[in-house]
Amino acid sequence: MNVLIVEDEKGLALEVDEFLSHEGFTVEHARTKKSAEEKIFVNNYDFILLDLGLPDGDGFDLLKMLKGLEKRDDAVIILTARGAVDDRVMGLEQGADDYLAKPFSLSELLARMHAITRRKHRLESNDINIKGLRVNIQNRTVMYNDERINLTKKEFEIFNYLVLNKNRVISRTNLTEHVWGDVLEINSDSNFVDVHVKNLRKKLSQYIPIDWFETVRSIGYRINI
Amino acid sequence: MKLQVKLALYNTLTKVAIILFTGLLILLSIEKISYNHIEVRLEEKKEATLRSLSSREINSFLAAQKVYTDYNILKEEFITITPVKYEANTPGKVTFSTETRKVERNMETYRILSNRFNFNEHTYLLEIGETIESVEELKSIIKKFTLLVLFIALVLTLISDLVFTKFLLAPFYKIIDRKLIKVNDPMNFDYEKIQTTTQDFELLDDSISSLMKKISNLFILEKQFIANVSHELLTPISIISSRLENILLHEELSEGSENKMHASLKTLNRLKSIINSLLLISKVENNQFDKGDMVMIAGVIKEIHEELEDRIDEKHLTFTNHLKYIYSIQGNRPLMHTLLFNIINNSIKYNTTKGSITISDDLNDDIYAITIADTGIGMEQKQIDNAFNRFEKFDTDEKESYGLGLAIVKSITAFHNINIKINSVKNKGTAVKLIFDNQV
Repeated sequence: MNVLIVEDEKGLALEVDEFLSHEGFTVEHARTKKSAEEKIFVNNYDFILLDLGLPDGDGFDLLKMLKGLEKRDDAVIILTARGAVDDRVMGLEQGADDYLAKPFSLSELLARMHAITRRKHRLESNDINIKGLRVNIQNRTVMYNDERINLTKKEFEIFNYLVLNKNRVISRTNLTEHVWGDVLEINSDSNFVDVHVKNLRKKLSQYIPIDWFETVRSIGYRINI
Repeated sequence: MKLQVKLALYNTLTKVAIILFTGLLILLSIEKISYNHIEVRLEEKKEATLRSLSSREINSFLAAQKVYTDYNILKEEFITITPVKYEANTPGKVTFSTETRKVERNMETYRILSNRFNFNEHTYLLEIGETIESVEELKSIIKKFTLLVLFIALVLTLISDLVFTKFLLAPFYKIIDRKLIKVNDPMNFDYEKIQTTTQDFELLDDSISSLMKKISNLFILEKQFIANVSHELLTPISIISSRLENILLHEELSEGSENKMHASLKTLNRLKSIINSLLLISKVENNQFDKGDMVMIAGVIKEIHEELEDRIDEKHLTFTNHLKYIYSIQGNRPLMHTLLFNIINNSIKYNTTKGSITISDDLNDDIYAITIADTGIGMEQKQIDNAFNRFEKFDTDEKESYGLGLAIVKSITAFHNINIKINSVKNKGTAVKLIFDNQV
């Protein structure tokens, strides 16, 4: 899958590039609105990571231009430090698939990209299979054989996030932010995640052994497959 | 005492003093002048009497060494010549006195001229009196008149002074009221000039306005500064955090370094949270949020309860929702959510295990109020006073407290014109009351 990063901040673009390349994506980089326009015009991308504040214009214009092109299905994730609620609403209204406020964590970005992929290619592989557990993002369910495991909304979110970022240590902070999402609610404390994980583990272990669901001491959790 | 009253009283007192003084002066001078006139007349009469001593009528009295008395019908005047012990050298001195004499059953006050003189080898005392009844009468009339004038002047000046100073000071009170008392936010200051012809008040008005302009400029500058700094910090944080995440991807990392990376990420996250909170406060204070939502309070509370249920269970708290009214306010839903979330989250955070949280509301005179009460560790008065300050935090086990939660609460309540009151007893609990009394 190929990704276009439209970002004027070179340092950040390089880090995202490195991370996504490591995850198997093909990454291109545009630093100005003009060069991004050229690239979008010539190539199809699976993902366009779009910064709104570009040196020669507004990222929204690129979004409009893209939506004006025919037969294009590039997923757009807006990345911005503006963080205004209006920007988020406007971005999504104009056809962006998701919105991430800077600073974001790369694992969060990856989880969002996976979620978009699964949403778009609904017919192909909807479920993620983990040791006999089937995670369905659309229905937000986890099934064992044909039995539905009764998870709360937050427990599902945590499990899903860990699954999407499998084999990587996910810190409590990162998880908290993913589950609680909204930047406005900064008061949530990370230890709170432990309660959910404890309950989640208890529920999962009723079906299968969960030695692959590791606690990384003083940091967070990892699903090891 | 109000300036207006003080000025009126001062004016009245000075006027009373002036009238009293002039009244007294007139009284004294009238007495003096009329006595003077009488005395001049008495002198003339004395001369006339002495000249007519040889007249037969008087002479017969004198020869018999008898007292000669004469007065007119209305007893306004009298003359007596009394023989006294012989003195060879009479001083011839004329003295005046005011005395009450009985003339034929009538008591009258007279101005009396006394003079001793020698006549035919005898000494006589001559007394000529003239009634001063008319003078006394005049004096009493003047006294009454003065008192009357005094009283009328007193009332009139008091009223006129009060009215005039009120008129004069009206712009002053207007300035105080509109430019000082009613101002609770320099951003919404009313720069319109108060109409006045008094230069001093114009100066006062201008000074307050220019001072307020300076304050609001500083205010704007501070807000811009916070917004700019926060915004410009977010990108570098983003780069560092991505870089650390990428380093963590390398498997050759030792466990120690990995832990340090994660610790650094956590610190970065803390930095990000603080910046985002400051940004949020600054945006709320800059009115960058829309107030177009109808927010149903009970609905938001229910939502927050669901979100926080796990935490409530974890601490074995009893959560009681006593909301009786379906009340909606015009405002910003995400902000109202944050507001109530922060308050309820605090009531969980600072609660004791197996404590309780009670949410209740009431509606008095169309004013809705909601109270969130807990049985937590409570606060002392000093802590309550500082609770809304930025970066103010209390002893807590929570690692993720930045001391900005209540600062956010304060800015959101101010944004929505909500009155917030904290009642707290140390080790007993805290009750936060939100009063929706200024809804437009």
